[in-house]
Amino acid sequence: MQTFFDSPLPSAEDLSNALTFHAFEIEGIENVRVRNSNMEDQALDVKVTPNRGHDALSHRGIAKEISAILKIPMRVDPLRENPPDGGSLEPRTDTIKVTVEDPMLCPRFTGAYIKGVRVGPSPEWLKTALESIGQQSINNIVDATNFIMFSLGQPLHAFDAAKLTAKRNSWALNIRLARKGETLVGLDDKEYSLSPSMLIIEDANAGTVVSIAGIKGGKPTCIDESTTDIFLEAANWDGVTVRRTSQALKLRTDASDRFQQVISPELAAYGIRAAKDLIVELAGGAIVGYVDEYPQPQLIRQITITTARINALLGTILNDEEVVDAFERLGLPFEKKGGEFVVTSPFERLDLMIPEDLVEEVARIIGYEKIPTTELPEFQKKPDINQNFAATEKVREELVSKGYSEVYTSVFADEGERAVSNKVGGERPYLRATLLGGLREAEVRNARNKELLGLRNIKLFEIGTVWQGGKEKMVLGVADDEGIHESELVSDGKAKRYEAYPISKADRFTPFSKYPFIVRDIAMWVPQGPDAISEVLTIFAQEGGLLLRHVELFDQFKKDDRISYAFHLVFQSFEKTLTDAEANEVMTRITTDVEKRGWQVR
Amino acid sequence: MNMNEASLPAGRQGHIHPISSLIREANRIFFDMGFTFVEGPLLESEWYNFDALNVPKDHPARDMQDTFFIKDEPGYVLRTHTSGLQIRYMTEQMKKGMPPPYRVIAPGKCFRNEATDITHEAEFYQIEGLAVGEDISLAHLKGTFRKFFSEIFKGNVEVRFRPSFFPFTEPSIEIDMRLTGETAPEKLRDKWIEIGGAGMIHPQVLENCGVDSKKYQGWAFGPGLDRIAMLKWGIDDVRLMHSADLRFVNQF
Repeated sequence: MQTFFDSPLPSAEDLSNALTFHAFEIEGIENVRVRNSNMEDQALDVKVTPNRGHDALSHRGIAKEISAILKIPMRVDPLRENPPDGGSLEPRTDTIKVTVEDPMLCPRFTGAYIKGVRVGPSPEWLKTALESIGQQSINNIVDATNFIMFSLGQPLHAFDAAKLTAKRNSWALNIRLARKGETLVGLDDKEYSLSPSMLIIEDANAGTVVSIAGIKGGKPTCIDESTTDIFLEAANWDGVTVRRTSQALKLRTDASDRFQQVISPELAAYGIRAAKDLIVELAGGAIVGYVDEYPQPQLIRQITITTARINALLGTILNDEEVVDAFERLGLPFEKKGGEFVVTSPFERLDLMIPEDLVEEVARIIGYEKIPTTELPEFQKKPDINQNFAATEKVREELVSKGYSEVYTSVFADEGERAVSNKVGGERPYLRATLLGGLREAEVRNARNKELLGLRNIKLFEIGTVWQGGKEKMVLGVADDEGIHESELVSDGKAKRYEAYPISKADRFTPFSKYPFIVRDIAMWVPQGPDAISEVLTIFAQEGGLLLRHVELFDQFKKDDRISYAFHLVFQSFEKTLTDAEANEVMTRITTDVEKRGWQVR
Repeated sequence: MNMNEASLPAGRQGHIHPISSLIREANRIFFDMGFTFVEGPLLESEWYNFDALNVPKDHPARDMQDTFFIKDEPGYVLRTHTSGLQIRYMTEQMKKGMPPPYRVIAPGKCFRNEATDITHEAEFYQIEGLAVGEDISLAHLKGTFRKFFSEIFKGNVEVRFRPSFFPFTEPSIEIDMRLTGETAPEKLRDKWIEIGGAGMIHPQVLENCGVDSKKYQGWAFGPGLDRIAMLKWGIDDVRLMHSADLRFVNQF
């Protein structure tokens, strides 16, 4: 990253913060080892949002962001330099003829024919650079194309020219859709069966597929130690075609990830020139010439915005100078016409289309913390009462007051009228037609915990969606000792307001043990009066400690000056399944303590 | 062990699910700010769930959602968010000849086709919010969230935005909040917590509903209710929400 700047960059943490609050989320910061040295460097894992896949899936793109956010000028911006050939990819060659059957699917195809390279290992700096981002070094040619892809965002591919079929000392490539039955063995040694929706590059003199466009090159034309002449490709492919092909072949590559986001066709020229330069530097050789099929150059887009409009959307009070500052830092060329800014989108920023896109650019560069906190003004209209919600709330409250608890169960079931077609894991693919199955299961499971819950019987209800008789319905299901039944919930449509039903007063949730519990009963005679029972409870707490999960007084009666209490004591451990012996031991201690006070355990 | 439990169970009340309690409370807070509670189907058309929200077919933005498709019913999905309710509500209002201002909340169940673990569930709850008018700005969104969270979490709340991306908002943001002061739960006090996404409604989305985007603007938000419940009560496993386990429900 530092290579893009003259002045030293702040620490990885500071860069991470800058990007987080002004551009993208950071997934992590990793320490990476520099090859053959004790030095360590740090790699930021940036989560580029889908709208910025056009320009920011590259080190140059992230450098541009850092430059704008931290107001540090870039030493060089490779996409803003004027190329020595004036951008026209000179010299041209006609040794390789490229035919694009449908320019909609391949808006641009550039190539470079380079002769006399020596394939070998990459220098250490290049190996380190690729390994630090999880890439394997292969050879100087392939590494150069990968390095330029990560640097500028333009994927490239190198063919061994000698492995393409020559006719009268010239080659021909054809960009077309695959034919049924065609296959290609990829660089990964896997054979891919192609179909007519997939775009390919054909060696036209041989009639064979040499590459799956924008996704993977073929093994038969790959670079190896014997390669001396190469044909370098930097093309622009239709995003939807690449995406569908990649999904159909279950083949995702760094190239397909970039093309499916759609990149600017202008970028191809920058990519091919940079890759050519790097290859000649690392592997020698000389350029014979370029090819460039680019029938319809990208249109320049202009967007008009005012400071007033920006302020109206953000609720800010920015002035023109602050807006100008944001545009300048982002390198967005603009003209001021009257009260309006006419901003020209840089070619790689395909995301900038409407004025609101510029509002976002200004907002994130000046920082969202500049947006004030303002309460909404009073609303002139009275909100409507949602009759369905009012009806469910009434039912909910009635059942709760009768001791029923509300559960939510899954909408996925083993049977039903409709099913999902792609459930992860594949279990319970149906949409439930009834709540009864889920409630029955819930009742059985909760019944096992009755004593722990301190309940005599389990009473449940659910208000939920079912798909029944071809319709989506809201139904009420109730489960108790009488049975399980359900009915459709229909509102009477007469609620005039929402009732002030209570909200949960719970403070914090206490996790519960996953291990089985043991219930022991104890009954005793104690003197009448409030002191005895609180003393008994203290004994329980002292002797039971963390194992005693629940105490329930289930019976009491008076006789003469004494009173008899009977309790359920529920024991459970957080660490293991409790044994009978362990529960008995606690019960013995409790009995001893009670009897020590001269009271009688029955 | 809670000594208060040492009582006869006679006359004991049942419990409502914590998400039901949260929806009840959210509705009360938003109702007072003028918001109407709306709802819609869980089995939703791709138009409402994706297309009208600027998420075209074969676009990488659809990868942001892991979608359940329905067998033999092409064009329908289990809704991946409550955002489709923005479209339903605004379209319906415009058909009735009722232009903005609008203020709406839409809490409800959504689906994500992924393996479950302690922080991920295939079924989860979102609360959609929408305010549209002639002069509704992002500053109002900060104010609305501060009010909502300070009531839900009973404390002083600061709200912070970070840049993000959703196809249906521009600008798009992530919302963080921080609770300060004595009344805030200790575990949450003074820490920034991620709450969910929001943004100014994309003009194309307004136009898709028949709302004049030259005249009206507004915001929408869609934080997860499960997440808010987990923060509010310190719930450590999202799968408890659909466990139907009274050891969980009866604590609320």
